[in-house]
Amino acid sequence: MWHKLLNKLHGDRYIWLIVGLLSIFSILAVYSSTGTLAFKYKGGNTEFYLFKHFGLMVFGFILMYLAHMANYRIYSRLAQLLLVISIPLLVFTLFFGADINDAKRWITLPGINISFQTSDLAKLALIMYTARYLSKNQAHVNDFRTGFLPIILVIGLVCALIAPADLSSAVVLFMTCMLILFIGRIHIKYLLATGVAGGFLLAFVILLAFTFPDVGRLGTWKNRIESFTTEQEPSYQVVQSKIAIAEGGIIGKGPGNSSQRNYLPHPYSDFIFSIIVEEYGLVGATTILMLYLAFLYRTVKIVIKSPGAFGALLAAGLAFSLVIQALVNMGVAVNLLPVTGLTLPLISMGGTSLWFTSLAIGIILSVSHYIESNQQQHEEETASLTDEQLAQQAA
Amino acid sequence: MTIKNDILWRIYLAFFMVALVALAVLFQAFRVQVTEGGKWKAMADSLTTRYRTIEAERGNILSADGRLLATSLPFFEIRFDAVAPSIDDDLFYRKVDSLALCMSRQFQDHDRNYYKQKLIAARNQGNRYLLIKRKVTYPELQQIKQWPLFRMGRYKGGFIVEQQNKREIPFGVLAHRTIGYVRSGPGAQSVGLEASFNDYLKGRDGKRLMQRVAGGVWMPLNDENEIEPKDGADLITTIDLNIQDVAEEALLRALELHDADHGTAIVMEVATGKVRAISNLGRMGESGYWEKYNYAIGEASEPGSTFKTATMMALFEDGLVEPTDTVDIGFGETYYHGQAMKDAKPHNYGRVTVQRAFELSSNVGISKLAHQHYKADPQQFIDHLKRFRLHEKTGIEIKGEGKPLIKNSGDEGWSLLSIPWMSVGYEVKLTPLQILTFYNAIANSGKMMKPYLVESINAFGKPIKSFAPQAIETAICSEETLQKIHDLLVGVVENGTARYRLYNNNYRIAGKTGTAQIAQGSGGYAKVYQSSFVGYFPADRPQYSCIVVVTAPSKGVYYGGSVAGPVFKEIADKIYANQIQLQAEEAVATTVAESVPAHQSGYAQDFSQVFSALGLPIPDINEEPWVYTIRDGDSVNVQQLNIPKDKVPNVRGMGLRDALYVLENRGLEVIVEGRGKVYHQSVLPGTPVTSGRTITIKLS
Repeated sequence: MWHKLLNKLHGDRYIWLIVGLLSIFSILAVYSSTGTLAFKYKGGNTEFYLFKHFGLMVFGFILMYLAHMANYRIYSRLAQLLLVISIPLLVFTLFFGADINDAKRWITLPGINISFQTSDLAKLALIMYTARYLSKNQAHVNDFRTGFLPIILVIGLVCALIAPADLSSAVVLFMTCMLILFIGRIHIKYLLATGVAGGFLLAFVILLAFTFPDVGRLGTWKNRIESFTTEQEPSYQVVQSKIAIAEGGIIGKGPGNSSQRNYLPHPYSDFIFSIIVEEYGLVGATTILMLYLAFLYRTVKIVIKSPGAFGALLAAGLAFSLVIQALVNMGVAVNLLPVTGLTLPLISMGGTSLWFTSLAIGIILSVSHYIESNQQQHEEETASLTDEQLAQQAA
Repeated sequence: MTIKNDILWRIYLAFFMVALVALAVLFQAFRVQVTEGGKWKAMADSLTTRYRTIEAERGNILSADGRLLATSLPFFEIRFDAVAPSIDDDLFYRKVDSLALCMSRQFQDHDRNYYKQKLIAARNQGNRYLLIKRKVTYPELQQIKQWPLFRMGRYKGGFIVEQQNKREIPFGVLAHRTIGYVRSGPGAQSVGLEASFNDYLKGRDGKRLMQRVAGGVWMPLNDENEIEPKDGADLITTIDLNIQDVAEEALLRALELHDADHGTAIVMEVATGKVRAISNLGRMGESGYWEKYNYAIGEASEPGSTFKTATMMALFEDGLVEPTDTVDIGFGETYYHGQAMKDAKPHNYGRVTVQRAFELSSNVGISKLAHQHYKADPQQFIDHLKRFRLHEKTGIEIKGEGKPLIKNSGDEGWSLLSIPWMSVGYEVKLTPLQILTFYNAIANSGKMMKPYLVESINAFGKPIKSFAPQAIETAICSEETLQKIHDLLVGVVENGTARYRLYNNNYRIAGKTGTAQIAQGSGGYAKVYQSSFVGYFPADRPQYSCIVVVTAPSKGVYYGGSVAGPVFKEIADKIYANQIQLQAEEAVATTVAESVPAHQSGYAQDFSQVFSALGLPIPDINEEPWVYTIRDGDSVNVQQLNIPKDKVPNVRGMGLRDALYVLENRGLEVIVEGRGKVYHQSVLPGTPVTSGRTITIKLS
């Protein structure tokens, strides 16, 4: 039975294995850290969030499976379509989205009543589109006007639309895209120039936040930056997160033994890494980091094998995006970066964002799947050729 | 370099950079553990956050006409942070005299020197949580907020206010036991509707994450509550406060007159079973009477003569007896197996009709009939009683309903005397409410209604659960039997034991007196009586049924007709005069507009609710949330009340809640005088708002 199931899974086996292992970590950490949540809202029914999370995860796997069965070339077309859809959606969300903490990030799909963050969709679309653009324009990719300018404008537009409600997502997405541009052979001087310009822009926004802390989310940004940069009195979350990490030690307190989950806000999403360190220690932290790096490494392998530029850039772009987000989340937990609301992909409890992550992995696997089958075909062709040669020799 | 190779070195470089970041994360985690570990671990040991419960506001209990029977009022505890960071020595010593003077004047318990010393001592000790006063009311708080130093608030002035809610029963003793209370703690008992509907009333408490700061003060960590409290729902009861008042007063007077131990009076609406009044008074030593136990619902006792109605109903149902038959009641004494059964007084009536024997409440007559017809098959009689549902609890919402006792033939304690004694209301036990439910069924053409106290449970003024009248039994007996019983009960008042006290020319009452000797343990019956009267009125088209039970009157008068009868009469008279007669006279329907106040201002959504409840067209009031009404002939128009944000609004005609909301939202300090609707405001409408300005509103 397992064998049959495994035979159904194509693409890189190691990536499947890594996703499976991360999911197990996810189940354990989410179950442990939703205890207080369950007591607050579900009358102590601690299994509620476990089952909810498990259900979301199973659906994520289904999406992953479906995505990896498709030929990755269709994603080139799909990228255009998704980008065209997501830009107006972002605008819509900015004005009419559900308002949570002064941030309009969510919209609800009418009819099926599922709400999702439009930035998740836009992120996926933009990375896919960038991969498409770079592969189509490899010939003149080093030209500023015909190669660099069109794509940086698209990236800038999408990030600018995400930024008002979710600055950190926008910044991370922008940096990820820069990395993809770099991999896609855009000239480094353009990227450096853009980096400097982006830095100035960010500095300007921060200045704005300090000047008008009462407008929209500017106040939140100001507070987070302030508490990160000033020495004394780190913010509550940071203190609690550091306590969790310090308490964890080398091997941790053991599964389900976290006490900081009662103090940390969002221990099941934003700060799940702290809970993992508390329960599984530095050993656990290292394991998680290794798993993400291994995932990235396996994707690099795919890129090496990939015959065309699109598949390579698509897989690389999505994988880097995912791992960068993971590192940002963990960086926040250990106070290497200021507090953001980014989740730890594949591990945090989360609804629809988990599904976008699953789709991204499915697409990577799709690239891998088709490279493998092409190779097989190739080998079979060579094999039959050898047969023919043998036959000829025999004749 | 090929394109592929170009991409590859770039991707390796990117991978390398990412790996470096991963290493940095790991290193930072390691650093937190090793170099800062001690500090964080120490902090973990003294973790100083906890969740504080934010009490949800308990729901109100209201009478049928919407008056508050029980409500939660906020009270405040005032504390002082004597070393709040912004209070320096200069400021403190400049203000301490006037602050102490304010305290001394406000609380009238100590002089200013006492308070001054107290404040200075607190400052010297570094007390950040000095208790100033508990149980401060809202109006008091408004004044205290104006005091020197305190007016600067929590952080600048060290002024700490904590809210508590206290349950208040505005009408005191009225239906107190039925409204009930909730107490917690070991051995504490909760009673009444408060207990039965606690789950609805209590709401859901909120939670707020608090952190302890230096000095033992708990401060909220975040701006908002982690869990918002959800206020409790309101109970709309069936209690009619006017009837309740009448019943309670009449009962109290009778208890005092007869120096009785306790008594109860219940009024029920015939068609629905709604309990309109339920009064329970018991003697509290020398200090008079108080609602100390719910006798109406909890006390099952031997009812005595009021039970004879059930006996007669059984006999009629079996066709064994007609009202016109005769029975020999002799001189008021007969013997069953050597045991004497006596009428209330010796007499020489001899042979009388069954109707007459009932009117005279003759124990001899009724027991003879029952004995004669049921001694062969006693269970036949019992089965009738069960068909009348006399063996079951009514299922009223309040906990602790007494269980009726109706023995089966052959049960333990059953004897040859059981039938004759049961037939006149001994060897059975029923609560006053159970007896009333039975009589109410007679009044309601045989349809037995379940008594109930709660009409609906409302959240934010909208019912979340409504309770409709419920029939226990659609017909407890045949129509012929019913007519005969009705005639018997009318006869009691017109010709029998209740004539002297209850007969009147205005309207007719049907009912039955009861005088029971109270069993004193196993030692038989002492000379302690329970006097009762149960019946309904007007007899021709019954609207209300009522029972009055007075236990242990001690002034030598103990007959049901004389002790309980007058209470019944007083209640019935007032209800008849105030409601039934009025209704008949006001047969012409009043126009709806007249029942809407001529001029009223308020929150538009409230109005649209009122209008839809009255069946009036709901005017378009979406644009402006505040409106006022004007009468226009027979209809009511709603006009929009324009309230600019920077002007003092016109609040005349508004209720207190609306007025406070509008005014305080504009940053005005409001002083309230009187109650009712606002008729005067000290600052004229249209005056530009200056924040913190005081406005006095007078209500009547």
